[in-house]
Amino acid sequence: MSRLFNRRTLLVAVAASSLALSSLSAFAADAVKVGSKLDPEASLLGNIIVQVLNANGIATENKLQLGATKIVRTALQSGEIDIYPEYTGNGAFFHNVDSDPAWKNLDAGYKKIKELDGKDKLIWLAAAPANNTWAIAVRKDVADANKLKTIDDFAKWVNGGGKVKLAGSAEFVESPAALPAFQSTYGFKLSGDQIVVLAGGDTSVFEKAAAEGTSGVNAAVAYGTDGAIAALGLVSLEDSKGAQIVYAPAPVIREEALAKHPEIEKLLAPVFASLDAPTLQKLNGEISVDGKDAKAVAAAFLKEKGFVK
Amino acid sequence: MSLRAIAVRQPTLILLAAASWAGLLALPVLRHAPNRLLSGHALGLHSLGWPGAFAIAAALVLLGTAFLKPSRQSAWIALVAAAALSIGITVASGFAAITLAIGESDTARTSFGSGTWLVIITGLLAEAEATRRLALKPWARLLIVLATVAGFAIPALLGWLDQLALLREWQAKQETFSIAFWQHGEIVLSALIPTLLIGLPLGFFAHRSARFQKPLLAGLSLIQTIPSIAMFGLLMAPLTALGEAAPWLRDFGICGVGLTPAIIALTLYALLPVVRNTVSGLDSVPFAILDAARGQGLTPTQIFFQVEAPLAAPVLLAGLRITVVQTIGLTAVAALIGAGGLGAIMFQGLFANANDLILLGAIPIVLLAVAADILFRLAADSLRKRTS
Repeated sequence: MSRLFNRRTLLVAVAASSLALSSLSAFAADAVKVGSKLDPEASLLGNIIVQVLNANGIATENKLQLGATKIVRTALQSGEIDIYPEYTGNGAFFHNVDSDPAWKNLDAGYKKIKELDGKDKLIWLAAAPANNTWAIAVRKDVADANKLKTIDDFAKWVNGGGKVKLAGSAEFVESPAALPAFQSTYGFKLSGDQIVVLAGGDTSVFEKAAAEGTSGVNAAVAYGTDGAIAALGLVSLEDSKGAQIVYAPAPVIREEALAKHPEIEKLLAPVFASLDAPTLQKLNGEISVDGKDAKAVAAAFLKEKGFVK
Repeated sequence: MSLRAIAVRQPTLILLAAASWAGLLALPVLRHAPNRLLSGHALGLHSLGWPGAFAIAAALVLLGTAFLKPSRQSAWIALVAAAALSIGITVASGFAAITLAIGESDTARTSFGSGTWLVIITGLLAEAEATRRLALKPWARLLIVLATVAGFAIPALLGWLDQLALLREWQAKQETFSIAFWQHGEIVLSALIPTLLIGLPLGFFAHRSARFQKPLLAGLSLIQTIPSIAMFGLLMAPLTALGEAAPWLRDFGICGVGLTPAIIALTLYALLPVVRNTVSGLDSVPFAILDAARGQGLTPTQIFFQVEAPLAAPVLLAGLRITVVQTIGLTAVAALIGAGGLGAIMFQGLFANANDLILLGAIPIVLLAVAADILFRLAADSLRKRTS
């Protein structure tokens, strides 16, 4: 067994480790590094970007599902990725200007983040006409029985003593732009025992709790483009007074990467323009409800719309 | 028959057999849901139909062996019955899932209930216990492990398990899964190389110098107390700064996200078992033997490679086993900083609230760790035979 330690083994180990290192650096410097966050919509949009670029002869390096918002944003700023899909509304938090009313309007918010990030040489390409903002979804039976269609109806119902129990994240409850914004705009107040705070960032956890009535939960925090709302027997209530920041998904790219491949802007614009809320909901549903792979869903969508042959 | 004759002879076996009976009778065997997000309704043992009877028969035999006089024969019976129980309930669930899927929408899912999980796990534990009792040679134990793996793999390959939710997740993500699987292995191996290159010399010096040993082991133990998520997060900032300060480093893959921080963090965690076992392995070499080697006129290098290292090898191998098993598990967390691997599938499932997708990531990690553990134990056993 002394063979374990002889010099030849050591040499082989050194050779192997240098091989491993060189394989890390083997990626062509020209490849566009595409990242994304972890949730289903992020992997869908990330896969769409990768496939559109590849179909048009632009080499990509797949860094999809890299991590949470902070990690992906840091990676973009430091050049570890070149492009990833982000939401316009998050600009409010990236630049600490969340009180600015511009964020509550799709076009104004887009212009604002394009301008702010442009100073940091991060270019926002055309956004999708969809809004993946905070929403409140209630069980269909509850919505039907109490005629709930908008958050305004919801506020009146709550103020009239309606028995609501809302499942959501700590972020939704605490972030001034989320639940507090709903409450101040529509004039209602949920007490501590009307809210169940659950761990986990994805809304399907809350939606499942409402759908199954876990601990009496009958309403859930949702996102505007969630695909599972209808499949779980829930109804999303309309934010008729526009209390929430608009979160339109758009690709953000580093200026130097765009300079190398200026055609990316024109390639992605029509694709994102076609991603309206119903389309995103349908595609997200295929991933989260039917369990299809995001890559396959992206490919089928691009082919059906003729973006990729 | 006196009461003594039916006394419990094998407490471990009867505990496991009783737990599997509890799983069969008291807990849901299957769950059937309209889609992968909902929990669905629970189904009992009757939903398995006649293949379920096979599992019950195996559970009866297993329970019976616990009352037999301990002997090689009864251990073999217990071993076969336990394997038949685990595999039997899996196959029976697979058949039931196929029946349930008929006429259902494509989104409907049938998954194992808590009862089936309990039966599979207790069955495998009972099998391991019976194998231990038999005190077999390493190759015979390997054969039993391989036969058990085949017992699960063959029904899967025949398509009998295709309608189980776990397999449905796999079918949808085959490509992603195989990439993640190999990535996982790649990360583990990439972390092991620097671990050995650093850990073995460190252990050697710590063995020679007592003054160096104490602070080194204390420092390495301190690293173990840092939560892994925090460690991965902490490495991001300095590495990103490093990559910005010296962009040429990025050409070598040095950056704040992805493989580099993952390998550094995993290496830091893996060093303790390697260093500690190198030290205690070398410490365990009797002074008399070293003295005799010196007396024979061997040079220090010869003594190290021909006397110390071979004698320390079994302890070192045990350290390596701990390191590999620990690294396979910890690599799952590396997915959070973009290193990929099976953890990425696990977190995808966590984010999408799809339990079977979480399992699709988690089960292979467990299997990989168990496989590594078995291989290292077998290697240690055959090594011990050779050196003794």
